[in-house]
Amino acid sequence: MKDISSAIQLIPLEHYILLCVTLFSIGLMGVLFRRNTIIILMCIELMFNSINLLVAAFSAYHSDPSGQVFVFFVMIVAAAEVAVGLSILVMMKRNVDSVDINLLNRLKW
Amino acid sequence: MSALIFTIVLGIIVLYLGFLKKKAILAPVAIAGLLIALFLSLKDWGLGSRYFHDMILFDNFSIAFNISMIIVTILIFLFGIDYYRMMGLHVAEQYALMIFALTGAFLMTSYSNLIILFLGIEILSIPLYVLAGGKKASFRSNEASFKYFMLGSFATAIFLFGIALVYGASATFYLPEIKIYIAQFNGHLPPMVMVGLLFILIGVAFKVAAAPFHFWSPDVYEGSPTIVTAFMATVVKTAGFAAFFRLLGMGLLPLPAPLEKALWVMTGLTLLVGNLGALKQTNFKRLLAYSAIAHSGFIMLAMLSQHSSSAKVLLYYTFVYSLATVPLFIIFILVKRASDWQEELVNFRGLFKEKSWIAVCMTILLMSLAGIPPSSGFMAKYQVFVLSISQGNLLISIFAILMAVIGIYYYFFVIREVFTESKQLNPIVVTRLNGALIIVCSLAVLLLGVFVWNLPI
Repeated sequence: MKDISSAIQLIPLEHYILLCVTLFSIGLMGVLFRRNTIIILMCIELMFNSINLLVAAFSAYHSDPSGQVFVFFVMIVAAAEVAVGLSILVMMKRNVDSVDINLLNRLKW
Repeated sequence: MSALIFTIVLGIIVLYLGFLKKKAILAPVAIAGLLIALFLSLKDWGLGSRYFHDMILFDNFSIAFNISMIIVTILIFLFGIDYYRMMGLHVAEQYALMIFALTGAFLMTSYSNLIILFLGIEILSIPLYVLAGGKKASFRSNEASFKYFMLGSFATAIFLFGIALVYGASATFYLPEIKIYIAQFNGHLPPMVMVGLLFILIGVAFKVAAAPFHFWSPDVYEGSPTIVTAFMATVVKTAGFAAFFRLLGMGLLPLPAPLEKALWVMTGLTLLVGNLGALKQTNFKRLLAYSAIAHSGFIMLAMLSQHSSSAKVLLYYTFVYSLATVPLFIIFILVKRASDWQEELVNFRGLFKEKSWIAVCMTILLMSLAGIPPSSGFMAKYQVFVLSISQGNLLISIFAILMAVIGIYYYFFVIREVFTESKQLNPIVVTRLNGALIIVCSLAVLLLGVFVWNLPI
């Protein structure tokens, strides 16, 4: 545990923050602009994982274990969420035989 | 805490009753269990017990909100007996998922740590994604479910990013410590904390459907099965606002000036969008969705006017709003059945001639939502305005009153349709239980307005 924390601290904190913000923005742009629902699910996962990385880095720098516990919670919740999301996707695919998000336009205004 | 654990066990019991094919006793068991949970919550009153290293704090605020949510869930389950009678399969899962969502709501009212807030929001949301897609063969339900899921997890990601940034700056998830950390800057926060707080507020505002983040709510409300819509419009909204209030009160107040301005703009926008959006709706569920957004605006007004009585006003407003909304959805389902599954407002025509007592009850309920005295909706709105004016927020209060006047128009539009003479397609069939529910809720809405002016916290 001590070794890992010191290994993480070899790289300056700013680099972690920049990396995570970049990953988060890639995920965000993916959710906003991609039309394929499976890719959107992947982008949401990317956003969650960038947050995990960020919290883990902060936790090592503050030498505070609660951040690492938080990462576990986020991982569990993300797994549960993707399970539900994929099953919703399968249900949708059965009804319209497509995973294109543009089909979601029956309900508006 | 015993109420929380008991509710989780209750959900599992209901789920297993479904496996054993005991459909007839599902709703009675669920309702009896919720009554026990209600009793267990009452027993914790005034103790202020803390659990898990102060991660959960059951103070009177959270117990009062839990009790109000349990009561509303019992009403919804009573409605469910009739609603699910025709549905053969997977009824137990529906009840169990709603009970699990309720446990998430309990966590959201009683957290004192951002981890628990996050878990509560997710335990509330994930069952709702499934419930919204409850009608598997209907594409509208699929669409509602997927939209809710996608935007919900997107908002969760933004919310988590905010938590990560705040944690990075303050090295803690515990709200009182975050409050001390913020206070030491005297309003000039470092940019990282500012962005983090903004993202957290965006995440919570999304869950309560406040204005720039409300786009999912009309679609999801329209597409979901009606009983789930009733659950979302009442219990989920109450839990969201309790969480929002606790977040502000325990951790973030006094907010830095830019964030406070952002929240005020959000309140104004919510009032504007909710009330103006409702004007041109022809679908009753969408109308109620916009009305829910408009009510969010009023509740935010009460929440932002910081005063010791804010929590009381918040509880009264959400409870009264829920009491009026659940029977409206029951009446809507009765009319929908009688008019060949149409959901338009014009289907309410002829209701007065067909079943005059339902029409009278519906008038009372809609008047309460519009805020006409002597209904309790008027008392709730009155208290919100008194509170916000006494805290010196004069301009936004005047704006909110104007918006309430606009609100009267679209609620009375529905009342006009109810009293318009027309021939209903089929006779309206009311079971005794549904009739009793409608009458009891209408009476409660009236009597609460006359006799009870606030609820204890």
